[in-house]
Amino acid sequence: MELKIASLTSGYGRVQIVNNVSLAVRPAEITAVIGRNGVGKTTLIKTIIGALPAASGSISFGAADVTRLGPAERARLGIGYVPQGRGIFTRMTVAANLALGAGVGRAASPDLERALAFFPILGKRLSQLAGSMSGGEQQQLAIGRILAGRPGIMLLDEPSEGIQPSIVQEIGLIVRRLRDEVGLAIMIVEQNLALIQAVADTCLVMDKGAIIARIAPGELSDPDVAQRYLAI
Amino acid sequence: METAGQIVSWIYQYFDNFGFLLLAGVGLILIYSMMGVINMAHGELMMIGAYVAVSAFHAGAPVLVAIVLAGLGAGLAGVIIEQLVIRHFYNQLLSSLVVTWGISLIISQGTLLLLGPSVMNMPTPLGSFSVGPFAFGVYRLVMFAAALVLIGGVWAIFRWTRLGERAQATMENPAMARALGIDTRRVYMLTFGLGAALGGIAGAMFAMTATISPFFGQNYTPMAFITVVVGGGASPILGLAYAGLYLAGVQTITSNVFNEYVGYVSVMAAAFLALLVMPSGISDFLERRRTRATQR
Repeated sequence: MELKIASLTSGYGRVQIVNNVSLAVRPAEITAVIGRNGVGKTTLIKTIIGALPAASGSISFGAADVTRLGPAERARLGIGYVPQGRGIFTRMTVAANLALGAGVGRAASPDLERALAFFPILGKRLSQLAGSMSGGEQQQLAIGRILAGRPGIMLLDEPSEGIQPSIVQEIGLIVRRLRDEVGLAIMIVEQNLALIQAVADTCLVMDKGAIIARIAPGELSDPDVAQRYLAI
Repeated sequence: METAGQIVSWIYQYFDNFGFLLLAGVGLILIYSMMGVINMAHGELMMIGAYVAVSAFHAGAPVLVAIVLAGLGAGLAGVIIEQLVIRHFYNQLLSSLVVTWGISLIISQGTLLLLGPSVMNMPTPLGSFSVGPFAFGVYRLVMFAAALVLIGGVWAIFRWTRLGERAQATMENPAMARALGIDTRRVYMLTFGLGAALGGIAGAMFAMTATISPFFGQNYTPMAFITVVVGGGASPILGLAYAGLYLAGVQTITSNVFNEYVGYVSVMAAAFLALLVMPSGISDFLERRRTRATQR
């Protein structure tokens, strides 16, 4: 389903961080939001899922205006969120984590088959406590958990953070398969240049809370462009 | 026979004390570990349970039915209190202490106004058995067994039901739970109601061993409070079990070697020592140590 944001402003209390952002994320499309640390990428994603209220502007998902809905209601409409730091329930089993994904898009029962088709390794870990797995496995669980529901969109916040490069590459492949095989709308907030270039269809560059440019991922191969937008 | 009786007496007292702490603390620790609130009105929920049970019993209800009604009554009272007041104070330990203390005063004084200072009674069922010169009430052992059943019930709810799964997720990371479509407000309301119902059942059980008055709850809140603080909030069931085992042990030994009063004071001293070593409670301490071990 399509996510549309119009003139969105939000922040913490009186501190405004996201400033007049408009964008659309369409099905079967991967939109990367890039930019330096502290420009408001995570705040934007938290406002989209409803963890932070919008100060002004609107957010719609499919046919529904979700601007005033709480996070749980948005999740039940099919907004799937893979947070920075993964947000898995470490004291619960892998199976229980996956089962909780059914809340996304209000699935009648968790689609374990689909989650395990994308992440076969989780099949061997089902009865294990999620906290005992490696960072890469936890990241796969966090994505697989959303796939066990019926998401219309997936929002990923820095999925490469703290994960070894081979697994980052694998996650990149899977994100592309989710676009092609599931037709998910995907928004990814990322600083890892390799991952951005591997998956993104479009890059939105964020600075000081606003979207300042829309570029093709190929343009980031130019070190000057990468330097300007990512300051790497 | 004299020594056998003496030994049985110590063991019996240990289980009696242990069961007392478990029953008094089970609802309280559930609410504490879930929501970061120590409910000082827990004793008043027990008092409500006690009154419901006694009234039902004198109206002709069998004891078991009276106990179930006590759980329902206190659970309902808990849900009302949660909706009106407590949901505004989640994870604010100090404010919630003051607020629930206020609720406790309102309920006990309100009951005094409503029902007067008269005390009520309910007979202790099940008789006694004797070993040597000592006689032991069977009901005290039933209370210990009931405490285990209630704790087992809480464990089963957490482990096997959808509410339990959602509650575990909410306890560990409420923001993520919401992002997966879990209505955390509802989870909190139901957990609080469950904790209150456990208090009500405990109150009904204690009602058969004590006189019931508007200030019935004050006999139980302090011990429940100490057990929960020593147990810690990381794992309600393990915390309760460890704190109960430890404090009941201290109480049994000191009250036998000295007297009941010293036993009571020793529990406070034992709690003080435990908190010096493990400031956030036994279960937090153990969990932190385990996390450190797995990270190595």
